[in-house]
Amino acid sequence: MRVLVVEDDDGIAQGLKAHLRQQGWAVDVTDGVAGAWAALRAEPFDLVLLDLGLADGDGAQVLRQLRAAPEGRLPAPGTPVLIMTARDQVASRIAGLDMGADDYVTKPFDPGELAARMRALVRRAAGRAQATLQVGDLQIDPAARTVQRAGLPLELSAREFGVLLALAEARPRVLSRAQIEARLYSWDNALDSNAIEVHVHHLRRKLGDGVIRTLRGVGYFVPENLPGDRP
Amino acid sequence: MTARRSLTRHLLAWTLGALLAVWVSFVVVGYMTGRHEADELTDGHLASVASLLLAEREGRFAGRGDPAALAGPGSLKSHDYQQSMSVVVWNATGDLITRTGDAPTPPFAPSEGFETLHLGNPAVPWRAFSRWDGEGHQRKVMVLLSERERDDLAEDIAAQIAQPGLWLLPVIALVLGLAIRKGLRPLYDLSRDVHALDIRQREPLRHAHPEEEFRAVVDSINTLAARYHATLTRERELANELAHELRTPLAAITLQARALRDEPAGAARDDMLARLERDALRAGQVLADLLALARASRTELAEAAQVLDLGDLAREVVGEFAQAAHASGHELSLACPGPFSVTGHPLLLGLALRNLVENALGHTPRGTRVEVQLDPAGRWVQVCDDAGQGVAAAVVQGAGDGPRVRALGLGLGHRVVEKIAAIHGATFSQAAAPEGFASCYRLEFPPA
Repeated sequence: MRVLVVEDDDGIAQGLKAHLRQQGWAVDVTDGVAGAWAALRAEPFDLVLLDLGLADGDGAQVLRQLRAAPEGRLPAPGTPVLIMTARDQVASRIAGLDMGADDYVTKPFDPGELAARMRALVRRAAGRAQATLQVGDLQIDPAARTVQRAGLPLELSAREFGVLLALAEARPRVLSRAQIEARLYSWDNALDSNAIEVHVHHLRRKLGDGVIRTLRGVGYFVPENLPGDRP
Repeated sequence: MTARRSLTRHLLAWTLGALLAVWVSFVVVGYMTGRHEADELTDGHLASVASLLLAEREGRFAGRGDPAALAGPGSLKSHDYQQSMSVVVWNATGDLITRTGDAPTPPFAPSEGFETLHLGNPAVPWRAFSRWDGEGHQRKVMVLLSERERDDLAEDIAAQIAQPGLWLLPVIALVLGLAIRKGLRPLYDLSRDVHALDIRQREPLRHAHPEEEFRAVVDSINTLAARYHATLTRERELANELAHELRTPLAAITLQARALRDEPAGAARDDMLARLERDALRAGQVLADLLALARASRTELAEAAQVLDLGDLAREVVGEFAQAAHASGHELSLACPGPFSVTGHPLLLGLALRNLVENALGHTPRGTRVEVQLDPAGRWVQVCDDAGQGVAAAVVQGAGDGPRVRALGLGLGHRVVEKIAAIHGATFSQAAAPEGFASCYRLEFPPA
């Protein structure tokens, strides 16, 4: 999953980047309103972490622009936004949430809590209530970043897990290679041209051929009604 | 707790007291006037009767009755004010010719006019009027009226005059009370408004209260509320800035510490540790400045101001920042034409100068020229920077390299300076930048 961190404090930005990468997020960082808006116009993000006091303006401006954007103008206009700010007054929280933010944390925050809130927002945006995903007889836990089959853990690399999670969350939609890349890789990740194919190949070997299907010329998808799916 | 005094009761008591005094005066004067007028009335009556009898003697009545008839029955009273008169008639030698009425026969005396006689046993006062008939003095007539009867009449008249005043008093008091309540309604409204005063509202009084008498009170309340609001806003802004200044490095420390848990040893880990250290120092710096800010208030009260040379102080501060400015690629200098004597607290003034220099170094790019300028004649000191203008391109490209001077947020830093300026009776403001500079912040002291 890919997150855009809009934060002008270098210490926080780098700390978040390191922490969230360890949590399996693809993290892009920008330090101002202009950079954030340019990023949101260019690429889809699963989540935006937004600081309000930015060097070149108020982060609320980004939020307002995002929520007021005409349909089709942005790749992901409904991206959940989590405000992280030092403004701890109730009025500020209310204003932030009323502007269209999905959640609000006050600095300093617990990194674990932040990650849990981020997962919850992504889950809610995907229309799921459960913390884990059931795909056939696979149980995917985004928080623990584990996959189990019939109660037994499967060994997946971080990228493989990312690809599987992206496809499971998009199910039954088809994701193109570019869409999977956009979810997995941040701007500063070096990307091989066939990296996704390699990860899918490894996943099929570990999960079996039936879980991830190819739609030639379009992309990959996880079919519905896999054996073991809940009715 | 002492009972609260009621202005309404106070006003009502005074008004009714005044009314009662006026009313009592009115009743007393009315009573006295009634008595006096009754006296006059009866006296005039006596005179009239006497004249009437004399006229009868002189044959101006149609017939002459016998003396016994004159002492006719006294029960023929046909009017409240009709009085029982007695008449005594003497001849020139003082022999009684005739008499009528209840009065005992008075002794004869040749004198004429009004007098009060005490007749009978026991003696009771009688009001009498006597008169001779013309210049020949053939007959003398005396008309008498019991003083008791006269007093009864006087009291009756006086009571008639005073009574409306007595029963009108409570009615007027009631009407007056209602009028006072009605008249004081604006005061009650103001009192209610003040009681329900919500100082958090920008217009704390719910109603306008246009009465001239309330203008001072309403203006004062609104002014106080406005000041309270301004203070509250300043405090809120300061709290926001403090929160931001303190929470930001703490958040960075927390995140970096968490990330360090899983980071293997190497350059990335070293970099995180270095950041952690910088952020901890930054949080410490914020705390130090906050303590200095708190100390500023105490110093104002506890320590006496002293005469000091601001030029020396500026030289010391600029010297302290020489290394930091060099490391951050700033060009720091001091322009001080001579001694600059001020009366103040060296600790606080040093803190103010440090904040201004820190702000200039911390919030401008590498290569920026920062100058501390003093003008003893103009009694100001200012810190100017050129915001990186005229910096060689190579230097600008290197921006971000090397350590930056950690300063408080511009807002908080300036608040520290503002507070110190206020303690010294000085003003702090942004000044017009001299040629070659982009911005200047000036502390201007009052004339020595």
